[in-house]
Amino acid sequence: MAVLEINKLSKSYPGVQALAAVDLTVERGECHALLGENGAGKSTLIKAVCGFHRPDSGAMFLDGERYSPLTPHDAMAAGIRVVYQEFNLLSFLSIAENVFFDRLPRKGPFVDYPKLYRDAEAVLERIGLRASPRTPVEFLGVAQMQMVEIAKALSGECKVLIFDEPTATLSPKDSGRLFEIIRQLKSEGIAIIYISHHLNEIYEIADRLTVLRNGEVIGVRDVADAGIPEIVKMMVGRSMEAEYPFSEKVGPKNRVIFEARNLRFKASAHEVSFALREGELLGISGLVGSKRTETLRAIFGADPKQGGDLFIHGERVEINTPRDAVRAGLSLLTEDRKSQGLILALPLSQNVTMAALDKASAHGFMNRREELRATGQYVDELSIKTPSTEQLCRNLSGGNQQKAVLAKWLYRDSRIILFDEPTRGIDVGAKYEIYLLLWDLVAKGKGVLIVSSDLNELMGVCHRILVFSNGKIAGEVERKDFSQERILGYAYREYIR
Amino acid sequence: MEARGNPIKRLFAIRGMGQVLTVTLGLIVLCIVFSFLNPLFLSGRNIANLSRQIVPILLVGISQSYVLITGNIDLSIGSVLGMSCMISATLMTKGVGPWLSVALTVVSCLVIGLINGVLVAKCKLPPFIATLGTMTIARGIAQIANNNYNTDAIGDAAQGFRDFFYYGRVLGIYSPVILAAALWLVFNFLLGRTRTGRHIYAVGSNIEASRLSGVNVNRTVIIAYLVSAFCAGVVGLMTTATSGMGAMDAGNMYEMYAVAASVIGGVSTLGGQGILLGTVIGAAIWSVLQNGLQFAGAPVAIRNIVIGSIVIVSVLLDIVIRSGRWSFRSKKIS
Repeated sequence: MAVLEINKLSKSYPGVQALAAVDLTVERGECHALLGENGAGKSTLIKAVCGFHRPDSGAMFLDGERYSPLTPHDAMAAGIRVVYQEFNLLSFLSIAENVFFDRLPRKGPFVDYPKLYRDAEAVLERIGLRASPRTPVEFLGVAQMQMVEIAKALSGECKVLIFDEPTATLSPKDSGRLFEIIRQLKSEGIAIIYISHHLNEIYEIADRLTVLRNGEVIGVRDVADAGIPEIVKMMVGRSMEAEYPFSEKVGPKNRVIFEARNLRFKASAHEVSFALREGELLGISGLVGSKRTETLRAIFGADPKQGGDLFIHGERVEINTPRDAVRAGLSLLTEDRKSQGLILALPLSQNVTMAALDKASAHGFMNRREELRATGQYVDELSIKTPSTEQLCRNLSGGNQQKAVLAKWLYRDSRIILFDEPTRGIDVGAKYEIYLLLWDLVAKGKGVLIVSSDLNELMGVCHRILVFSNGKIAGEVERKDFSQERILGYAYREYIR
Repeated sequence: MEARGNPIKRLFAIRGMGQVLTVTLGLIVLCIVFSFLNPLFLSGRNIANLSRQIVPILLVGISQSYVLITGNIDLSIGSVLGMSCMISATLMTKGVGPWLSVALTVVSCLVIGLINGVLVAKCKLPPFIATLGTMTIARGIAQIANNNYNTDAIGDAAQGFRDFFYYGRVLGIYSPVILAAALWLVFNFLLGRTRTGRHIYAVGSNIEASRLSGVNVNRTVIIAYLVSAFCAGVVGLMTTATSGMGAMDAGNMYEMYAVAASVIGGVSTLGGQGILLGTVIGAAIWSVLQNGLQFAGAPVAIRNIVIGSIVIVSVLLDIVIRSGRWSFRSKKIS
């Protein structure tokens, strides 16, 4: 029996048809995967189901009854819950208080703490989170916080549970545990809508899948019958030849463009030394916490260094602030584009020129013509979907925000570009575009450094990989020697001893 | 790819223009209402008067807008104004030439601005605390300037100074109006059309992203505080010119009036938002209310209550408009 039935739901924004007569049915105990590229309409659909905004037309039915939530609160009361990629937890409160935050049990005017902890324990038991309900959330790891979010969703009546990119911040092991929880929830009869860019996860837990593209339903399949190439084709609208572009023709030159010698910074006890050649794509692999990001930030002057020297084309450079770094010819594309990469409240055009205002101005005066020209050029080249160059970046979708960050640094045209997780949270099609772009950069003789948690991605695109382990460079692997075992072996080296 | 369409649409496409136009509408309504309450309100004489009344509020409004847009606040504006008034008047009564006095006064105000900027940007003090400190210090300097007395009259030697800052007229327009217009043009240009202006908006919107883009954040914040102190200092000089003497309590509460003018005009106290055209309208609304209510015979107490309410209502209105009608334009496309 269908728990949630969505019938011809449409929603448009000025210039964009976000949803066009979308149908979706989710059965009891079913895990239904919702797939599509960024901007395909997944978020809009979920937001309509959760009462964040009202569709223009169409109807929804919950357990056969008409369901039209006006507010997120209505949706929760009706039993529709979401576990978002970003958590909404109050870090200073305990697990129990977070789980029952909107309806703490009371005794007179006071919170009935004994009952609260008993109730919370029951919910935690159900999903297998072994932690005291009294623990403040701030002491939990990411995976445990996510379990608290799930517990929160299950603490009330829950008919439909929606997961939005739940594994984006989880390690493979934690993802495995999450899947177990999801399987158990399915067996309890809860309907699950699962959104993820990781197609292999779909095969682990999903029963059926719906693919959206440009706001339309492209198809519904039983997971067992659908192969990855077919799904990708449905999502992207064309088939993709290879997952990663790699060409033997474009190889690194012998000239070293950037070198770090004995670099030390606060976050790590070890020194880091390595060299990057012209036209080289150098990957940095390692486990979470192996100081990959910290290394990039220290190089860029975003965090203070404690020692060591940096060289560009053999000449020593002094980099104490990001400003010094930009002037010396470095770019850093941070992992967190919303809070560090873009100024969301400013228009696209002003973001594009932000790191290279000198190029779009003369004697301190802004040259709007040049600014618009440059922005227009990158909108075309990177196919950024935006109604105008003056659209605020806040209103761009995730993938387009990532492209806006790229445009900003492409306009800067630095010689050395540091990427931190350039493809996290973006879909297959956009990933491929970014790989092509990386190749474009190295073909121009730039040096590119990429930190990524996706080992396949690094092995797919890089010439060489440095493996970090607990703050040390534990190993260096050339492309011809790339293998998962070898790289992971280095990655764990400093932890095993 | 820039916004196309008819001129009205293009006008609205300018960032922050929506709020400014809404407030302008409010200003027009106010003027109509007051002219009904007292026909003399729109007399040429009152208009001329009003234009001069707007000037100090507009200038301190520019001060505060600059600082607010960087995401900070300047509580020292009123005291710097008072300090400027007392220092300039004291120097002139002691026989220092008026223009040398002006120069020394401006420099001393800029020093306070620099201290504000350094405390906030480099020493990372919360702007509220840092400028609360300099507010008190600057007022102390104003008091100590002439040994805790208001000054005597600055005398006939300063007539040129008084004409330049208050009494003179060019083509029938009072000199403070011309002065304010000139300063507004300069600072509006600085904010809207230069690299420094870009930095100010960027820093106020997202300081970390700005830093990582290579923006010199400290310098930007210091510049905003310097502009603030400069404008406040100019108003202090105008005050001296107006009354012909220095008053220790000049500019009392002006930092708050400045917040009001900025906020009514659409400058966000959270930083990164607002344009100086809005500050003009905000200052005009403030002055029209003061003047119009006075003409309508309302006592001071009533004026205060009305103006305070207007500040709250205008910001509320802005929130309602943003979350309501115009949010369609700014909803996420996904």
